[in-house]
Amino acid sequence: MNSLLSIKNLTVAVGAKVLVNNVSFDVPQGKIVAIAGGSGSGKTTIGLSVLRLLPSALSIKQGNIVFEGRDLLGLPVREMQYCRGARIGMVFQEPLSAFDPLFTVGQQLDEVLVAHTKLSREERYKKILETLTEVELPDPLRAYKSFPHQLSGGMRQRAMVAQAIVCNPSLIIADEPTSSLDVTLQIKIMELFARLKKKNMSILLIAHDLGMISHLADDVIILRQGEMVEKGLVSQVIGHPKHEYTKRLVEAFQ
Amino acid sequence: MKRNNNSRIHLAFASFRCNRMAMLCLWALVILYSLAIFADFVCPYSDRDENRDFSYCPPTAVEFLDQGHLVHPFVYGRTLTFNAVHRRVYVEDMTKKYPLRFFKEGRLFTVDAPGRFYLWGADARGRDLFSRIWYGARISLSIGLLGVSISFILGLLIGGIAGYYGGWVDSVLMRLCEMFMMIPGFYLMLALRAAVPENFNSVQVYGSVVVILALIGWASLARIIRGMVLSLRERDFVLVAKTMGVPDIVIICKHILPQTISFSCATLMLTVSSYILAEAGLSVVGLGIQDPISSWGNLLSDAMEIVPVIFAPWILLPGLFIFIAVMSFNVVGDALRDAFDPMFKEEVSV
Repeated sequence: MNSLLSIKNLTVAVGAKVLVNNVSFDVPQGKIVAIAGGSGSGKTTIGLSVLRLLPSALSIKQGNIVFEGRDLLGLPVREMQYCRGARIGMVFQEPLSAFDPLFTVGQQLDEVLVAHTKLSREERYKKILETLTEVELPDPLRAYKSFPHQLSGGMRQRAMVAQAIVCNPSLIIADEPTSSLDVTLQIKIMELFARLKKKNMSILLIAHDLGMISHLADDVIILRQGEMVEKGLVSQVIGHPKHEYTKRLVEAFQ
Repeated sequence: MKRNNNSRIHLAFASFRCNRMAMLCLWALVILYSLAIFADFVCPYSDRDENRDFSYCPPTAVEFLDQGHLVHPFVYGRTLTFNAVHRRVYVEDMTKKYPLRFFKEGRLFTVDAPGRFYLWGADARGRDLFSRIWYGARISLSIGLLGVSISFILGLLIGGIAGYYGGWVDSVLMRLCEMFMMIPGFYLMLALRAAVPENFNSVQVYGSVVVILALIGWASLARIIRGMVLSLRERDFVLVAKTMGVPDIVIICKHILPQTISFSCATLMLTVSSYILAEAGLSVVGLGIQDPISSWGNLLSDAMEIVPVIFAPWILLPGLFIFIAVMSFNVVGDALRDAFDPMFKEEVSV
């Protein structure tokens, strides 16, 4: 199978403390791969490592992150800058703080297009409205003109997804995309991700909600304190957990 | 596209409008700047129009009554006499009347030669102080603004870059700031002025004063901005902008620096006032704008000796306008900071 993102032996540490230890997995084209685990297990750290945006105290000790056939860790800054946003989009947990309060949603989506494309103003406007429609915002034009605080939580999260996909990236890293939403909105966002998957986008889903993972993901990786304890198909890992920690996680969610 | 009404800027200005003192000062500034801009129209004479027969001529009274009848306003002519101790005394010559001419030759008011109209008195060379003050306002008030614009661009950019990148970039830039800050401002100003060639024309002197002021002020601003950026760069939306591949300089200028607007606006106003004072300081000691061009500072330098001040106290008037301008900028700056930052105001009033 064609692997879009392939992480090999990734180790991230802060000083002598190892946060992510020797983690390897693949994200195939058009699949959703989930990373699950408790808080502090290094889920978000892996997500940020892919974009090379770890906080300055953290450093990647060893490993390769191969994306579309190239090692991201060895990429020149300029090309890395292009990968961010244009090839890899990221969705965060808390959509309110993720938007700059001083600019409208439309302006912030526009900024991404300005950074990565040579489209004219009208083309960008059209593309943004298209994307806002695609994430099923009820009134795309209003969302375009709204400041982040004027949208509801669910709408903000959709706008956030729209920002991540506006340049048609091949990979989306979603860091706990539904944690701040209520259950009905969670389902909507999950449906949205399922639709993106149908469009052959790959998604690296970082979550602790095993229910969501079992509905949405193809593969799953279970992390505990930076160690990968189990990986495989969702049906196998969650249906028939082998490792003690996975069993406890699954029990906790039933 | 229409901007939303409840944006932060809008709210801030609504709150600013409630501050009466600040609105008063804002109007004072508007009036000062308009008088400076329209000096050609407002003033009866140009700033170089001298008449040595009227050295230190006191302010001219405008007469509305002629032998008990209301007439078109006019001024009496003056003759120069000397008193017992050989001081100049100007005596009103009731036989010569010069009616005020309005809108003549593109000026708001003036009188026909050989009459002279000194609304606020004359200086040593018989130049109209009123005219010189408003022509000088052009220099004094614009130097503050220009100097501040330059040091703000420098301060914001350098502070922004130092705070955003951190590490050795931060160290180098901050040591540079400290180098500027450790030299006492006034001596740095004198030293920089000494480096400027002696034979500069007035425009070049003006430019060099602007640059000198800008070079003095940017460092302290850059340090404070850097501190604010250090915390702002940890905000989520900055990380998001990074994950979206937005270039660093765009993140700094668009997402980080605008967050410092409340502080910047207030400091901008306070800095303008300190620059107006600094220009006056340079000019008073004769290193700023040179005669015959007037600025509030070099007008005041005429008042450095005590004797002219005793006999022609009106030459202190430019000081009043320096005071009004500086105080207005300070009050408006404080009010702006309060308007942008309601939390700050509450803390102070407790």
